[in-house]
Amino acid sequence: MVRVKSRYLLCEVNVTDRNQLLQLDDRAVSASVKDVVQRMYGDYGAALCSFGFSVKYVNAVSGIVFLRFPKKCYKRLWSALPFITSIEARGKKIQCFLNCIYVGGTIRTCQKFLIRYNAHQLRRMLPKCKSEEEKHKVQQAILDCCLTARTDESEDPLESEED
Amino acid sequence: MAEFMDLNLTFSGDKAELRKLVDTAAHLGYSTVAINYVFEPNPKKKTPVPIPVPVAKLVHPLPVVQGCSRPIRILNRLTIMMSDPSHYRASSPEYKHFDLLAVQPNTDKLFLSACMTYDVDLICFSVSDRLPFFYKRAPVHGAMERGVAFEVSYAAGIRDSTRRRYTMANAMFHSDICKGKNMVVSSGAERALEIRGPYDVMNLSQLFGLTERHGKDAVTTNCRRVVLHAESRKTAGGIIRTFRRDEATVGTSTVDTSGEDCPAAKRAKTQDDQAIEA
Repeated sequence: MVRVKSRYLLCEVNVTDRNQLLQLDDRAVSASVKDVVQRMYGDYGAALCSFGFSVKYVNAVSGIVFLRFPKKCYKRLWSALPFITSIEARGKKIQCFLNCIYVGGTIRTCQKFLIRYNAHQLRRMLPKCKSEEEKHKVQQAILDCCLTARTDESEDPLESEED
Repeated sequence: MAEFMDLNLTFSGDKAELRKLVDTAAHLGYSTVAINYVFEPNPKKKTPVPIPVPVAKLVHPLPVVQGCSRPIRILNRLTIMMSDPSHYRASSPEYKHFDLLAVQPNTDKLFLSACMTYDVDLICFSVSDRLPFFYKRAPVHGAMERGVAFEVSYAAGIRDSTRRRYTMANAMFHSDICKGKNMVVSSGAERALEIRGPYDVMNLSQLFGLTERHGKDAVTTNCRRVVLHAESRKTAGGIIRTFRRDEATVGTSTVDTSGEDCPAAKRAKTQDDQAIEA
């Protein structure tokens, strides 16, 4: 049985100014990854990236990116990712870096991890809330995460209030 | 869950930037960081050894580490750029302010003495040019036996392309000799955007010639070993530690039991005992 196996890297884009994040789109991320792999590994890297690599999902609000790499060369391509210093989106350069938080074999496992990760981030946000209203909203969001047992991703619009 | 440490956050003088850097490090999951003061002794002007800013004034409150509920631990570290044997004085009182001591030797004789005799915790590699000297296995193994680790910093490689080549070249040369043991990979970041997450660093160390196993050790076990070695430097033989009663210990996680009125058997285990057992 030949099954094409791949690795999905769940990355978080860290910026100093969160408003700049909103301009992210998948083409910009894909172009910057290909560019950095080309710089580090030259033509061989460019060839590795040309098939099998794609950006599956970008969430501009929380800065989460899903990258798909073929299983044979994902470690090599992953080692080039720390050298990304900026992503150019819609003509503007966003100073950022990618932090890989999970490597999964399928999109579904990555999704499950992302749900737990987002719930954890909500709990981290709670002590940083500045007003009673915000605190109440975050507490409500945490309760929603715990009570509902949904398998699809529950995106939280409050992520933009983080930090 | 492994404890990740980043032993090189360069102090550039900008406290706001340093605060952001420490916040980012805590968000990425580093449980311990060390603020690095680089000291380059100049024979013409007698520059004094820098005194570290107390941690409580720099970053307060301490940010909580991602993945656990403890705040981040911040240590102070001094790196001495040595081009002359007189630059490092063994029992200088200024070194007592720092938790970690590191040297960056520029000649092979200094490298040999740093590995075999100097009482330091880390030996750093230069990132801006090729190693000016070659060395063989003997001093490196001597250093390993004493507990001194070798450090590679990656932030210079992120900033600049030629530095990237020299960092990787020097690191690969060293990892060939020491077979990847006793190496520590740290950031050397001055700004918040130059630090990278621990799993990224483990993967990045593949470019430095380390295997997966050694890459993980470089961010976890070896760092912890260095920090414990540094703590044992302040003790007598790793067993007895003296301190003033009113000394503030903010920023370190040592458990202090004043022990004068308590018999030895009932005293709580301090980290010194753990250092001996390690």
